[in-house]
Amino acid sequence: MDPIYLDYAATTPLREEVVDAMAPFAQAGFGNPSSLHRWGRAAFAALEGAREEVASALGAKPSEVFFVRGGTESDNLALLGWCEAHGDGMTPTLAVSAVEHHAVLAAAESAARTGHARTLVLPVSAEGTLDLAAVADAVASPPTLLSVMWVNNETGMVLPVPELAERAKAAGATVHTDAAQALGKVPIDLRTAPLDLLSATGHKLYGPKGTGLLFVREGTRVAPLLHGGGQERALRPGTQDVAGAVGLARAVRLAVQELEAEAARLIELRERMSRALVDRIPGVRINAVGAPRAPHILSVGVPSVKDGSALLMALDLEGVAVSGGSACLSGAAKRSHVMAALYSPGDPFAAVRFSFGRPTRPADVDRAVDALALVVHRSEAAA
Amino acid sequence: MSRVLVAMSGGVDSSVAAALLVEAGHDVVGVTMKTFCYSATPAHSKTCCGLDGITDAKRVADTLGIPHFVFDVEEDFTRDVIDDFVREYAVGRTPNPCVRCNGHTKFRDLMARGRALGCERIASGHYVRIEHGAERSTLLRGRDPQKDQAYFLWGLPTELLPRLLFPVGELTKPEVRERARTLGLVTADKPESQEICFVPTGDYRDLLQKRLGTHPALEPGLLVRRSGEVVGEHRGYAGFTVGQRKGLGGGFAEPHFVLEIRAATREVVVGTHDELQQDEVTIGEVNWHGAPLSPGDSLLVQLRHRAPAARATVGHVGDAVTLTLEEPRAAVTPGQSAVLFDGERLLGGGRIVSAARRAVVV
Repeated sequence: MDPIYLDYAATTPLREEVVDAMAPFAQAGFGNPSSLHRWGRAAFAALEGAREEVASALGAKPSEVFFVRGGTESDNLALLGWCEAHGDGMTPTLAVSAVEHHAVLAAAESAARTGHARTLVLPVSAEGTLDLAAVADAVASPPTLLSVMWVNNETGMVLPVPELAERAKAAGATVHTDAAQALGKVPIDLRTAPLDLLSATGHKLYGPKGTGLLFVREGTRVAPLLHGGGQERALRPGTQDVAGAVGLARAVRLAVQELEAEAARLIELRERMSRALVDRIPGVRINAVGAPRAPHILSVGVPSVKDGSALLMALDLEGVAVSGGSACLSGAAKRSHVMAALYSPGDPFAAVRFSFGRPTRPADVDRAVDALALVVHRSEAAA
Repeated sequence: MSRVLVAMSGGVDSSVAAALLVEAGHDVVGVTMKTFCYSATPAHSKTCCGLDGITDAKRVADTLGIPHFVFDVEEDFTRDVIDDFVREYAVGRTPNPCVRCNGHTKFRDLMARGRALGCERIASGHYVRIEHGAERSTLLRGRDPQKDQAYFLWGLPTELLPRLLFPVGELTKPEVRERARTLGLVTADKPESQEICFVPTGDYRDLLQKRLGTHPALEPGLLVRRSGEVVGEHRGYAGFTVGQRKGLGGGFAEPHFVLEIRAATREVVVGTHDELQQDEVTIGEVNWHGAPLSPGDSLLVQLRHRAPAARATVGHVGDAVTLTLEEPRAAVTPGQSAVLFDGERLLGGGRIVSAARRAVVV
């Protein structure tokens, strides 16, 4: 039987329309957008077209969209670049939620270590809420950057980013969100959400790997981390990847256009699986069930399994590809900082993240349920 | 065919072991153990189980078309191997961490984890052979006398033996490399790893310093003769092993060696090569792969890796076993392994507790 990929929150394949959009700029239209000749002009036009496409999908101005080389770079640029721009004669504060992606957490830790910022880590409840008093404390002494992800990558929990942003803005803070898992999955409109900075990546929504974007609202100061030419208005020097930008833009536009219908379909798959797992595996629990959740992620806790990674390996051998949380360096998995932030250490369960994508069909979900039931049964027998 | 877990270090031996299992038609799953935290390891470290080892193992698995996983065994490995290593040096003995790892982490823990993956058997790239009989399974020395690794496997839990496969045990090292080249495995010409995997700097005293902090084993003490005569000072007995010649200072009429480490008084006893000879050996933590031998039985005992086995007679048999060597051997070292053979067949072994010289009857 063909293996089933249920790890679309880790990465996705390029969609056909994206490949078609990119192809001309990978070959004939290979010019450097900074060149003054016709090759350069054509590339420049394509790049700026891509910028407009992203801006219109997000409700931003084209001048607020910067192309970078991935989600991690976008997060680092937002946090560290903002600190750099606000470090003159004072130590700014970085307030980040405890369930952020490593790209945000590690960047914040680095800023604290090197003395570029005070860093505060804000606890998150199992319902996906942040303690508003802690947020208020954190933003009380400006300059403060609050960074809260829109959709948590491990549990799929949706954090109330627009509301938090509104409060934090009122208290004088700048607000960043890592929207890597949110863009194209939950509605995002920067005309109404009072965010200053937003990071996203292409490869989570059927765009190319190594592409990313940073939205910087007009008037928000961010300093570059790399130094070189004046590309991306000197915020991200280096010859732009035009084909990548075009691919990213097409992927973003299509994901946003199709969001409503695709989200409804994914929620149906998620709930189908959720019901089947609760039926078939005694004691299984749906992580973050009390929180609003993104359509494409179903995170479950399997009881009395000590070693979650063994469960993922066993599922792989049964032809079902999933994650425990986010994929890490060597593939060895420990209980993640996200699960640690949400559940007590004595709680014996292994987290499995199923994530659905455009190719996923109900039959795939049903087979994955069978596989999980089998490997859980086997691991109980081996214990 | 049943599903087999193969422990892949990222070296050539386990790479070829995996390849041979695939050729034999097994459903093979490659696994590399992550034994300790790599972030503290210098880049380009040479030990086999670093991240390079993981990368090489993954590339070999891909070439062979088998799945590969990393098992994070850091917690178990630290408890069963590193803690033991530190504890042994702290009491003045010289541990065998590879023996410890094979007996605990590499086979016992991997098998337990492997069963959750549906693996009924476990294989490695050790140069040993195994005979699976109806009653019991027996380990034999590897076909290549230069590479034989039976010495390291005496501590394997007996109940695990029927589940083990050692595909390279019938081959010589050059044959293994040749196979790897023919198959185009990236590890074909990889050099042997020699260091202890959790001591990437090559100096175990750094690790002791870090784990023990201030401890008598790392405090200065006296170098003495058996007679009690003080002949010098040392900078911590944990830096010594029985038979060691380096680090004793000069000034002796003939070469001197470490004879004994007395943790209680922090003394390191030194003497001549003749004084190093011993023929009464007591071993503890004894593990028999079959029925225990009886007093008076004759066997072969190997007291060091690569050392030829010595003919010996079994004395007392209990929790501890005493052995009388036919001919004395130099530097029988407490903490090291005494591995028991009947010809090529591995009978079991134990840790050397103490050694002595029989009174010579005139």
